Amino acid sequence: MKEPKIVAFLCNWCSYAGADLAGVSRLQYPPNVRIVRVPCSGRVDPLFILTALKHADGVLTAGCHPGDCHYTSGNLVARRKFALLKSLLDFVGVEKERVQFDWISAAEGNRFAARIKDVTEDVKGLEPWERWGGRQNG
Amino acid sequence: MDKIILEIRDKAQELLETGQVEVVIGFTAGTLPGKSTPCFITRGEDCELLVWDEGCKNNLANYLVKEKRKAAIIVKGCDSRSLVNLLTENQLSRDRVVILGAPCPLTEGCEGCQIKSPVIYDYLVSGKAGKTGEDDFHDVKTFARLSPQERKEYFYKEVSKCIRCYACRNACPACYCRECFVENNLPQWVGKSTQLADNLIFHLTRALHVAGRCVDCGACQRACPMGVDLRILNRKMLLEVKELYQFEAGLKEEQELPLNTYDPGDPEPFLAGGGEA
Repeated sequence: MKEPKIVAFLCNWCSYAGADLAGVSRLQYPPNVRIVRVPCSGRVDPLFILTALKHADGVLTAGCHPGDCHYTSGNLVARRKFALLKSLLDFVGVEKERVQFDWISAAEGNRFAARIKDVTEDVKGLEPWERWGGRQNG
Repeated sequence: MDKIILEIRDKAQELLETGQVEVVIGFTAGTLPGKSTPCFITRGEDCELLVWDEGCKNNLANYLVKEKRKAAIIVKGCDSRSLVNLLTENQLSRDRVVILGAPCPLTEGCEGCQIKSPVIYDYLVSGKAGKTGEDDFHDVKTFARLSPQERKEYFYKEVSKCIRCYACRNACPACYCRECFVENNLPQWVGKSTQLADNLIFHLTRALHVAGRCVDCGACQRACPMGVDLRILNRKMLLEVKELYQFEAGLKEEQELPLNTYDPGDPEPFLAGGGEA
């Protein structure tokens, strides 16, 4: 299969810093990921994820661990949205591995690198994604 | 003549003639037999046009959001739940509306309907509602047992019928955003055409937008000219909200909507291994 394209929505305060740490620690992770920095995982509208799937093969969304949110509860509100989105996607037959979520703190550069590796491997193992029945570019 | 409708007409007439309301929102006979149509009555003598029968299916709560006059509305179970929702969401002020509750006129009723009598009202018209079924989410659970491939094929097939007329959105009392994401141009979330990708994103997002607020009145599906099975998505969300957050929409006014709030101990089924690791 062609190299999958992964979009990662990372929260500014934890997960993006986690990605940064992975970088400065020179950890290796697959180059398939395109990072979108968001203020908080609570900012991630399910619509972002659905739209990202028009152009990419997989989406990872990461935020601060529950309890560690810079805005106190952004990730807790996000958690309910994600739970519903994930079950809805599963219900309509989109593979579980295609859309993933995790909590990654600013200290978890390793976890970031590992998660990117997992998601990339998972998506590689799936049937090619027809991008909502849309076109096959990029 | 049916006792229920006589009572409704009397009350509506009284409300109009005593000036308690300026308009009564109810049903009148439609142009086709068995198809009653929503109507707005402003004169007491017109109240004899009101009907309450098998054809009264629309969710009248929808008309109340834009109604500027002081209005009376005739509601059945699901309409009243929509009203509760609109009140919780501050889309209505309770003192502007007089609620005439009546038992649901559909003898067979909608599958899975549990609440046929109004949950909120100022006047309750006496009479027995048709029978209610146990809602075991049979349809959702059966569908979930199909293979992912089959589910995807079914969903894609259904949604490819969509002509994006937005009748489902317009008929839904929970869909009242002044600016809907489908009409947004910056960014343009979905195209204007009926490309499958855009249709899919529209229907999935709509299901998520009404999650925890949908009362399963079925107005969207009845309004759909193409016969798209929209309710399965809404009912999936209904089941999910019920199981994860023990919440059912439109039953109590003081209820906080599930997606407006959180609990520190909420389940995390979306994490690998259900968040156990």
